[in-house]
Amino acid sequence: MTSSLPATGSGGVQGGRPAGAGEPLLQVTDLHTEIRRAGKLVRAVDGVSLTVGQGESLGLVGESGCGKTMTALSVLRLLPPGGVITSGRVTMAGLDLTAMAETDLERVRGGQIGMVFQDPASSLNPTMTIGDQVAEAVLLHRGNDRRAALERAVQTLRLVKMPEPERVAAQFPHHLSGGMRQRAMIAIALACEPRLLIADEPTTALDVTVQREILELIDELRHRLGMAVILVTHDLGVIAGRTDRIAVMYGGRIVETAATATVLGRPRHPYTEALMRALPELAATGSGRLASIPGLPPDLTEPAGGCRFAARCEHAREYCASRVPELDGDHPGHSYACFFPVAQAADGSAPWLNQLSTANGHPPAAAAVPQQPPVLQVQGLTKHFAVTRGALLARRVGSVSAVDDVSFEIAAGQTFGLVGESGCGKSTVARLIAGVAQPDAGSILFRGADLNQLTGRDLRGQRAGIQLMFQDAYGSLDPRMRAASILREPLLIHNSGRKRAHRRTVARLLDEVGLPPDTADRFARQLSGGQRQRLALARALILQPRLIIADEPVSALDVSVQAQILNLMRKLQRQYGLSYLFISHDLSVVRYMADVIGVMYLGKLVELGPAHEIAASPSHPYTRGLIDAIPAVLTGKDGARPAISGEPPSPTNPPSGCRFRTRCPRAEQICAEQEPPLVPAAGRTGRLTACHFPLPPVPPGGTVQVTANTE
Amino acid sequence: MTAYLARRVLQALVVLVVVTLIVYALLTRVPGSALGAVLGPHAASGFLPRYFSWLNQVLHGNLGFSLLHNEPVSTLLAASLPRTVALTGTAVLLALIVAIPVGMLQAVNKNKLVDHVLRALTLLCYGTPSFVLGSVLILVFAVKLKWFGGEGPQAPGFVGVITDWRDLTLPVLTLALLTIALFSRYLRSSAIDSLAQDYVRTARAKGAGERRVLRRHVLRNSLLPVVTLIGLTVPQILAGAVVVESIFNFQGMGYQLWYAAENHDFPVVLGFTLVIGVGVVAGSLLADVGYALLDPRVRYAGR
Ligand code: SF4
Ligand code: SF4
Repeated sequence: MTSSLPATGSGGVQGGRPAGAGEPLLQVTDLHTEIRRAGKLVRAVDGVSLTVGQGESLGLVGESGCGKTMTALSVLRLLPPGGVITSGRVTMAGLDLTAMAETDLERVRGGQIGMVFQDPASSLNPTMTIGDQVAEAVLLHRGNDRRAALERAVQTLRLVKMPEPERVAAQFPHHLSGGMRQRAMIAIALACEPRLLIADEPTTALDVTVQREILELIDELRHRLGMAVILVTHDLGVIAGRTDRIAVMYGGRIVETAATATVLGRPRHPYTEALMRALPELAATGSGRLASIPGLPPDLTEPAGGCRFAARCEHAREYCASRVPELDGDHPGHSYACFFPVAQAADGSAPWLNQLSTANGHPPAAAAVPQQPPVLQVQGLTKHFAVTRGALLARRVGSVSAVDDVSFEIAAGQTFGLVGESGCGKSTVARLIAGVAQPDAGSILFRGADLNQLTGRDLRGQRAGIQLMFQDAYGSLDPRMRAASILREPLLIHNSGRKRAHRRTVARLLDEVGLPPDTADRFARQLSGGQRQRLALARALILQPRLIIADEPVSALDVSVQAQILNLMRKLQRQYGLSYLFISHDLSVVRYMADVIGVMYLGKLVELGPAHEIAASPSHPYTRGLIDAIPAVLTGKDGARPAISGEPPSPTNPPSGCRFRTRCPRAEQICAEQEPPLVPAAGRTGRLTACHFPLPPVPPGGTVQVTANTE
Repeated sequence: MTAYLARRVLQALVVLVVVTLIVYALLTRVPGSALGAVLGPHAASGFLPRYFSWLNQVLHGNLGFSLLHNEPVSTLLAASLPRTVALTGTAVLLALIVAIPVGMLQAVNKNKLVDHVLRALTLLCYGTPSFVLGSVLILVFAVKLKWFGGEGPQAPGFVGVITDWRDLTLPVLTLALLTIALFSRYLRSSAIDSLAQDYVRTARAKGAGERRVLRRHVLRNSLLPVVTLIGLTVPQILAGAVVVESIFNFQGMGYQLWYAAENHDFPVVLGFTLVIGVGVVAGSLLADVGYALLDPRVRYAGR
């Protein structure tokens, strides 16, 4: 096997315009796809047309249920059971994929068009080695013998920068980390050098730092192999720096499409604009609310006539409900389906962006250092999990240091944000404080009382003051219980009040969290993701707690719904003087919500300080890495600095000295020898950092975070 | 994996000890000198010492003496065990050969006509008692058509049984039909699960054709849970064997057990029960080992 991958592509792309002159590579014309399931008909894709040029990259954006994934799956006719393309055409380099026989299409799948799916954990066959799975694609299209195919597989694994490709080829998916599995998926898709790569939410299941690496890899390979890319995502940040063009989908249709910079800089469709305003990283810190989009995406079983966004649109007029807006625009190359598009400022920039940049300049006073007495004080919290091995008698062979000497406090009425990658111990901290697990050392003082010293009634009384909220509201709410019973349950357990009073409390709380009264009689499974999270919030509130621990409460939600929940949480905080321990892997969400941020890495708190200051001027290299890894929507570029790479080492055997040193760009000899203590950072107030070489403060005027760059 | 297997073997041993204890305890209740015949005149006294010397005898193949046949139980066992193994082994093999394609076919055509027809057929097999099924088969194929014999093979030994295909067919078929119904239902649901997995979509996106997807990706992953279930169905299959052997007058373990139970030949009943118990435990152990060998997630867990 001698052929190697070409070093450069044919279709170089400059600026925001497609370079594929003449015939586009992929052309989708008036595509309609329907899904029939359980007697319902969903018009998932309803008249989508798009083109992708040679070597071009297109971002397909939208919230869940908008039809973007179904559009992507329709291209290769990989629809789920019940899915049919009812009309429209998909052509790839002149071949009609919609009309082609299945056996011919199999030549295209994996050969001409490679596809990467969202969840690498379930998208790889658990009983086949990675090498075999990549080699299978080669065998199918190149008809090589097995040895040559395996060789080619290893070569492709090297191309996707898989560490130790020979060894990995012989391993099974469960041996690999999430990031490595996604690399394996990409290797499968690229094994036969396709001309188009369709990546469906390729990084949604991954940590931010890994997400950035995978996106960079796709980008680099696109240029190297000269292939076109369709990046399907719900995350505007993911496509901002990486695609030439964007198509925004809503309700099964494309509502706006243009060059990436144009759409993000000057959105004309009200939905696109609303989506951007709902992004927490664009919200002014501390003050105001996130712009949220009211309501839910439309039900595609019976789409209403007229504009599908009308029910949620700020600009909607009567006219919109009766006619369907077509996709066209006043500028060539910028199309949008709207009768009353968002106005542009005189200089062509979007007016709300200007408000935003001024708001960003003045961090509100409310975010100052806490003066209130603390509700919760955590001192030296430590938790190890035993790792055992041995057939008959489990021998303790080591321990995972899940949480190591973590101290912080949360003031009354404030939000403490805890950030870090998965496995950093942030959820363990939540479990320890909630009393679900017992700490090995350290104290937890809640309103002055040490929770570990209390017993019986006192403990239960105090515990009622701390409530939990999870990412997966579905898992934590019994789907077979009615909302009213779910809300009443804690009252019954804590045995307070009478039945009639219960009913009133339930009704009041549903109202507070913005759920209609008839929700009380509905089952949890009948509610949407956002509604369930509202219900979870209501349940957390029912015992009138002082502190709510929210573990990734919005990570599973769409941007517009996420903004609704975040706003609701803030409103309730003001109303009841609540404190939150807000845990998330998403620094931009935490920055929006929190007054104080703590950053965790491998069980250690590495940086602590006021939220807006940490975000504007991090002092720990890891925090900087996390910030750099956030794809910036407005600048359309990631920071020039190299983000931290790789994945965290195993917590069973954390690195000596500073635990971050294996990934730290500033690491030196001393970092391996001495563990840096969490001490006040030089030249900053109210900031603690655990680093031997902390970053200097960013001079006023400069920021590391997104700035409103409007060209 | 060794850790897992060691744990699993230990578990099986514990279960076996419990089984022997139960059989022993029952044996002490048997009237007459059934136990004395095993233990001999110089046996120790006390529950545990007697249990251990009994166990020692059992391990040396001394299961006592049949009251009816005036023969050692072990002799009866030696004659009937291979015959039953031949019968059930052939039936399970046949069942697998038929059930795998049937289950896959049903899964691929889930809720379509083929699936409904096959499901009705397997339900029929499953729901019909073995003695009815056996009698019908005898009537049609032995009495009317005279294709096969109406009695099981009478030649002695394992080889004697499996070479007499003419007489073996109907008992095997009776037993297999029940087993096919069991297996194909498991396989159908497990293949439906696998078919809905994301990795199947990945395989299709690679350009794999339908047959390759089914063979390479769906089948192996669907067989995994079935392997465990086969182990768990051993008791059901043996119960089926008891009925089938008595219908077809086939002198295997089931037949002997039936006969002994009807005639209060307790040493034989308990001796055979013990052996069947060992068989059931071994079956589920083997299934788990097979599972561990097939599933890399178990194979490498804990190294
Ligand atoms: S057509 Fe009307 S309802 Fe639709 S997006 Fe435009 S303004 Fe809003
Ligand atoms: S102590 Fe050293 S390794 Fe750790 S973060 Fe600071 S510079 Fe990096």
